[in-house]
Amino acid sequence: MRQGLGLGPLILLWALPLLGSLGLALVPIGDGAAWAALFDHPQLRHGIALSLWSGTAATAAALICTLIIAAGLYRSRLWNRLQAFSAAGLALPHLAFAIGFALLIAPGGLLARLLAGGESPPQWVTAQDPLGLSLIVALTLKEIPFLLSLVWSGLARGDFAAGLDGQWRAARSLGHGPGSIWLRVVQPQVLRRLFWPILIVWVYGTTVVDMALVIGPTQPPTFAVVIWHDLNDADAASNARGAAGAIFLTLVLAGLIALSITAWRLALKLRQAFQTSGPSRLPVPRTAAAFVGAVTVCLYAVTFGLLLLMSFAPRWPYPLLWPEHLSAVAWSGLLANGSPLMLSLVLAAASAGAALVAVVLWFETQPERRDRWLLGLALAALGLPQVLVAAGQYRLFLDIDFTGTLAGLFLAHLTPVLAYVAVVLAGPYRALDPRYAAVARSLRAGPFHVWWRVKAPLLRGALAMAGAVGFSVSMVQFVPAQLIAAGRFATLPMEALTLSSGGNRALTAAYALALTLPPLLAFTMAGLAGRPRWR
Amino acid sequence: MALSLEHLSIALNGRTLIAPFSLVIQPGEIVTLMGPSGSGKSSLLSLIAGELELPFDATGEVDLDSKPLGGLAPEARNIGRLFQDDLLFPHLTAGQNLLFGMPRGPKREREAAMQAALQDAGLSGFAERAPHTLSGGERSRVALMRALLARPAAMLLDEPFNKLDASLRASLRGFVFAHLAARAIPCLLVTHDRADAPPGSRILTIGESGEIRDA
Amino acid sequence: MMQLTRRGFAIAAATLPWIRPSLAGGWDAVLAEAKGQTVYFNAWAGSEQINAYIAWAGGILKARHGITLEHVKIADTAEVVRRVRDEVKAGKASGSVDLVWINGENFRAMKQDRLLFGPFASDLPNFRFADTDGKPTVLVDFAEGTEGLEAPWGMAQLTFFGDGARIAAPPGSIAELVSFAAANPGRVTYPAPPDFHGTTFVKQVLIETIGDGSLLSVSIGKTEFVAAAGPLFAMLDALHPHLWREGKQFPQTQAQMKQMLADGELLIALTFNPNEPANLVASGELPPGTIAWQHRDGTIGNTHFVAIPINAHAKAAAQVTADFLLSPEAQARKADLGIWGDPTVLAMDKLSPGEAALFTGQTAPGAVTDPAPAIPEPHGSWVPLIEAAWLERYGA
Repeated sequence: MRQGLGLGPLILLWALPLLGSLGLALVPIGDGAAWAALFDHPQLRHGIALSLWSGTAATAAALICTLIIAAGLYRSRLWNRLQAFSAAGLALPHLAFAIGFALLIAPGGLLARLLAGGESPPQWVTAQDPLGLSLIVALTLKEIPFLLSLVWSGLARGDFAAGLDGQWRAARSLGHGPGSIWLRVVQPQVLRRLFWPILIVWVYGTTVVDMALVIGPTQPPTFAVVIWHDLNDADAASNARGAAGAIFLTLVLAGLIALSITAWRLALKLRQAFQTSGPSRLPVPRTAAAFVGAVTVCLYAVTFGLLLLMSFAPRWPYPLLWPEHLSAVAWSGLLANGSPLMLSLVLAAASAGAALVAVVLWFETQPERRDRWLLGLALAALGLPQVLVAAGQYRLFLDIDFTGTLAGLFLAHLTPVLAYVAVVLAGPYRALDPRYAAVARSLRAGPFHVWWRVKAPLLRGALAMAGAVGFSVSMVQFVPAQLIAAGRFATLPMEALTLSSGGNRALTAAYALALTLPPLLAFTMAGLAGRPRWR
Repeated sequence: MALSLEHLSIALNGRTLIAPFSLVIQPGEIVTLMGPSGSGKSSLLSLIAGELELPFDATGEVDLDSKPLGGLAPEARNIGRLFQDDLLFPHLTAGQNLLFGMPRGPKREREAAMQAALQDAGLSGFAERAPHTLSGGERSRVALMRALLARPAAMLLDEPFNKLDASLRASLRGFVFAHLAARAIPCLLVTHDRADAPPGSRILTIGESGEIRDA
Repeated sequence: MMQLTRRGFAIAAATLPWIRPSLAGGWDAVLAEAKGQTVYFNAWAGSEQINAYIAWAGGILKARHGITLEHVKIADTAEVVRRVRDEVKAGKASGSVDLVWINGENFRAMKQDRLLFGPFASDLPNFRFADTDGKPTVLVDFAEGTEGLEAPWGMAQLTFFGDGARIAAPPGSIAELVSFAAANPGRVTYPAPPDFHGTTFVKQVLIETIGDGSLLSVSIGKTEFVAAAGPLFAMLDALHPHLWREGKQFPQTQAQMKQMLADGELLIALTFNPNEPANLVASGELPPGTIAWQHRDGTIGNTHFVAIPINAHAKAAAQVTADFLLSPEAQARKADLGIWGDPTVLAMDKLSPGEAALFTGQTAPGAVTDPAPAIPEPHGSWVPLIEAAWLERYGA
């Protein structure tokens, strides 16, 4: 009974609509002509290679940078400041970061103005380079705050932190230095909780479109962009080829992930040998952490700064280091129309809240072994192109007459939001020592009381973080408003997207920053909530 | 190989926790320090281990084998510890926990030492077991063997029997003291339970104003 | 799926009377029915000037006809085509789109899939002012007859622009563009097809290089194409080594090109709206010395339209809106460089002197000073062949 009640919201509001949407979205793959056309596509091989390469390299680099920073700063005074930085980095939408970053590295950008000078921009192959290096760097930088904040909130969790504290002292008494303890004791336990988030980052990096359009390679582009062009075509046959391409990319990626998991299992054996090889005085990589951290923070600061400046600069010709004149036209246009912002805030709060409730109910009523279904479905929802999933969703909502309604708009936002919330929350939630709840129950506390008085406070940081992630994911969704709601309810990202299609950089920058502020607040609040109380 | 504490004192926010005192613990000797909760017993152990941090205010010197330990990092002091919790690493098996602190050397020798230690502890065949599958007594024994396999020059025991039930306590005390005696290293045990002290050993108590005297 | 299709047919059948709307009651009946309706006008919204113009039209329609005009902001019209197609397939009789800004392949797709209401265009009272003789593209959209399924709204013509201070002599043909690129290596490029502007540029090269121009207006097969497009690719092969990044990489969109021009990374950008450069100067995005030009012998020109989906809810009000957008008053305001600067589809000689006087014909920095003739788009069958061949040759 309780199991059923707990499942209800998640199944009804999320899983069923999502499965229906995926089913309808995948109808075109029965189309043999679409597959034939796909395998005839001249950009297929090179494009897929680029997608896998850029997504995988960026994920690996982001993970390594995150671990270096965490290793160097763990238990230092800067550790608790990390969350503030992560909040700012996380809040900046991917697309906004790509635009700002391009303003820095492109041949007409700030770096060239500082280093190359001259009358006109140098012919650097920065931004949109054929190997996708600039895309990889941008993706890496963008994912570091995400992974870092998950590491941080994981380590900050009450019972886990207390346990690690003791293990830390025990390990030191056994002759291990801090660097060795990080590598042998803390990092293995942290990594285990990062499994699903790392997959998300990987899938995202491989299938990302908006960033790839701004700074990714172009001829050929990454395969996600090829698919995106097809799915956006007016021609139904192209749409079918795009759908087939999306399935194909997803399958190839799934194969690569499966292969990597196998490789990882083998690597674990090696790691065990390393973990038990005996005490070592390995110092923590403070210099490396300081370097990686400082470079990341600086690049974010410059990107933010350039976006801010650009939002006030209608024109900023080469080689000027400062715009000729500043004007607030873009901002006044944005502020004159407040209702899209309000609607976006309401939708973000509602979908993040509903997702939290539904996911927590799942965790409370379902055994852990079932999580793979929830998280697998979440990955599918996030890994397939949003245009494709949304197209299936649109067909589904047409049948139940939900298009053009606020309810439909809300459900469409919930799809990615709940997926992210589940992925972010699963690790910390399942890692909670069940004895706390058992103790509380033995003190005759009812289920809700146990949750509210014991689990929620212990999981405070993780819950707040998951909520903030959900909120920020909702804030940048434009496809639902456009497609599901048929454009009848204007949201902020939809305004931003339609206006940016005209290429006015000041307006684009202003909207990008406007989309950043609400998530920034959410992440900052989550960071405050996640701060351990006893320190 | 004696552990010698000279003029140690600890204060917190101007309040004296431990008044200045000196103590020499000989190899093979187990000194028991008794005091109520909050009396600064654990802080004293942290000070000796090199883990005491601000806002504690400590003075005095700790020598091990006539070498001053001041300024050395905890891992460089060669002082083993047992805590109230067993603090086994949850991501490692019992055997891997034992190997964790064992000095580097040929793999086969280390493995053999690990197996011997398990056998010693009555835990033969437990090498592959995850810590959470062990009973409280088994975990405590693994924790002790882990500390001893690191070949410490001294041991600090922070109420290690506190969380065990009465029947286990007696047998574990015997187990611990027998192994410590075999190593012939100085040990300092803190507890609030007189029954924890090995029979015939020297017992100190912490008074109200932090003064330490023989019981 | 089966069921969906059957339901789709049922709805299509139910709406059949609309496919041949008899204006039995005349325009007055349409006006009467339109009163109180809401028109969801799905229109590209990438320009604040355009958005403001649509908002202005909404104000007038409300005051005069009691019609509420809601601008549904769109980044890409193809998305509207897909939405309507799905709605019709699902049998949704009362669709989400009442009016759509459209032309080219999007129109062709909707026409082929029978997703459009009409014919209605020639029955609009203001259609009589349309310049059907002087501007043949008002009736033929990318070589596809409009057949009254869309009403003309504005004119477009491929136009190049750049900073006059950095361009001594703007290239007046593709051949001259190749020389210009050779003299300024890495400073010229075009968006990669199938981007709309990129495909248009390649079509322009086709028109300027093809031996037998008569092929352009007819349906072309694959084998004929290979022969006919030989000179096209010879010209592109000559051009590419001098392009930005040696023609191995291309910008993704025209918007991106525009930004590269503003940064100084490129010397030349292109647009389909001849007045866009002037707009960009007015908004401060480009310097006042900006110049705009067209190739001497003409560039591709076309018309953009508004159409009504077959399942539109407010068909009457949508027609009234289309009619108002076609009125001399609305067209003159749209052509005003200070408002939007979109060239009119009306014939000046069909207007009364008073109406014609609304069109001030003013000029502004960045406007085209020496207009060239508009050349009709090649037949639609060329486009997929061009795009596929281009991709094959330069895309991978």
